[in-house]
Amino acid sequence: MAELARPTGGGLAVYGRLVSAGVRGRVYRPGWLLVRTIGSGLIILADGFAVALVVDRFGTLAGWSAPEVVLLVALSAAGQGLGLLLGDRLEPTYFSELVRRGTFDQVLVRPTSPLAWLIATQVEARYVGRLLAGVGMVAWAADRSGVVWSGGHLLVALLALVCCATLVLSICVLGAALTFATVEGSEVVNIFIYGGVTLTGYPVQIYGSVLRFLFVWVVPFALAVYVPALVLLGRTGPPGLPAALIWVSPVATAGFTGLAALGWRHGLRHYVGTGS
Amino acid sequence: MTPAVPGSRPDPDAGQRERARPDPRRRGAGIEVAGLRKEFRTRHGRVAAVAGIEFRVAPGEFVGYAGPNGAGKSTTVKMMSGVLVPSAGTVVVDGLVPWRERRRLARRMGVVFGQRTQLWWDLPLVDSLDLVRHLYHMEEPTWRRRLDELASLLGLGPLLSQPVRALSLGQRMRAELAAAVLPGPRVLFLDEPTIGLDVEAKAAVRGFLRHLNAADGTTIILTTHDLDDITQLCSRLIIIDHGRIVYDGTIDDLHTAYGSTRMLVVDLADPTAALTTGPDWAGAQVVRAEGHRRWIRFARDQISAAQLVALVLDRHQVIDLSIVEPDIEDVIRRIYRGEAPPATDG
Repeated sequence: MAELARPTGGGLAVYGRLVSAGVRGRVYRPGWLLVRTIGSGLIILADGFAVALVVDRFGTLAGWSAPEVVLLVALSAAGQGLGLLLGDRLEPTYFSELVRRGTFDQVLVRPTSPLAWLIATQVEARYVGRLLAGVGMVAWAADRSGVVWSGGHLLVALLALVCCATLVLSICVLGAALTFATVEGSEVVNIFIYGGVTLTGYPVQIYGSVLRFLFVWVVPFALAVYVPALVLLGRTGPPGLPAALIWVSPVATAGFTGLAALGWRHGLRHYVGTGS
Repeated sequence: MTPAVPGSRPDPDAGQRERARPDPRRRGAGIEVAGLRKEFRTRHGRVAAVAGIEFRVAPGEFVGYAGPNGAGKSTTVKMMSGVLVPSAGTVVVDGLVPWRERRRLARRMGVVFGQRTQLWWDLPLVDSLDLVRHLYHMEEPTWRRRLDELASLLGLGPLLSQPVRALSLGQRMRAELAAAVLPGPRVLFLDEPTIGLDVEAKAAVRGFLRHLNAADGTTIILTTHDLDDITQLCSRLIIIDHGRIVYDGTIDDLHTAYGSTRMLVVDLADPTAALTTGPDWAGAQVVRAEGHRRWIRFARDQISAAQLVALVLDRHQVIDLSIVEPDIEDVIRRIYRGEAPPATDG
């Protein structure tokens, strides 16, 4: 018999197949998936609607009109949708289950990157609903705020989406890394994923200095979403956080992602699994 | 231990030439374990699950790895397969350090953790096996040939189109084995592969493993509580307890070391006859008598079954007789209880 497995090769295509297999497994009940997809989108639309109503009641929020605030909500919702599409199953409640049941041991004997394996095999297709609803809402809010789309604008919106999604995914990865040590699930991560994204839906200047510092320089959601929104809306931004900082957005996001990657590697090295 | 020779394996024509000239001996991986320790932090401080073990496995060996619950079996296997990083000591599998070269080793290694699945639960079995093809970068014709071979060996034909969740436990275990050995691993780690299976399914799994070891020369490490697995399959047995190796050798040697005895059961024509023993009985003794039946215990290194039977037939009229082999469970229980093998002077 030949050496059947070739020592190298393949690459990204393998992960594509894993995604497809994972999604096909879930599409086993297509009706249920459709309902959950629509549900995940509706939640975001309801959020945007509520924010629009409240802000509209008071005219403006820190100088931002209702559609302008909705643009923030929409960008962060779309980013969260994309991030959770990839990272939802890394969330400690699920991931601790994988560790406890020994499923993760099984992942580690595969000839792939364990993290890429986890992300690829567990894509949560229903978050497509949130991503699409978010993108739709961005289009509506931009239109109402008088944004005239240019190639540059599209790029900035895409940057915000990708940066926000990357931050959400990175938080999920950090949460999973934390689970290596605790084995138990923990809610701490949800505070950042959901709380962080909700806070990102409002203009940063309404927050006190501590929270602001946290969201600009620690978990840089403000840089990922708020600053690009400034650029889209043609605003200059508050002191200390001008629109000109747009180039820092990808850098800060990459920095946070690097941190998450280090955390994951550290966790993996100290992985002890469970009993047998 | 064969060191990994760079350039000796990747060979574009290997597929063609191999078919013409199969050489089972080059398949298996060697394993070297030295001073291996793994400590876990618990509420009661640091606990050594594996407390310094050594062994070598030659390519193509079929080794049973046994021990009571919590002895350190799974921990050892996880260190050999790259899942866990040892606290101290070294492991080399097929020339690779598992936790440092995890992915490279994964390409040459098959793992079946009993009661866990590596298959896609909601997809037809063949889809999972097709994913294995891509994960291990197998050529389509090679994969097809191997799949056909495994399907017939393991009787998977009619199951390929069924979703994995619809398979019975026995069917699923055969499917797991197929997925694990499809890429032609050099070493196979098995954790309780027959647990929960009925007699027929156990026989199918054992038959396949025997074939794999003999035909492909695959090195197999089998962790199990089922001692029948070990006596039927393994040429060598390693027993671990409290994180230390308490026995490493053949099953025959184990019986000899622990002085385990065989039993000759004879039915005498005359139920009142007393079995006459003499100096030529070499330690054999009647341990029980009931009606026609007599039980005679004897040690294999002192008198052979043939000699003993001849002695009995010589003096008595016998209706029936049988020989009961020693119970390996009994020996292993004695090991777990911490009994040292009796001293043997020559």
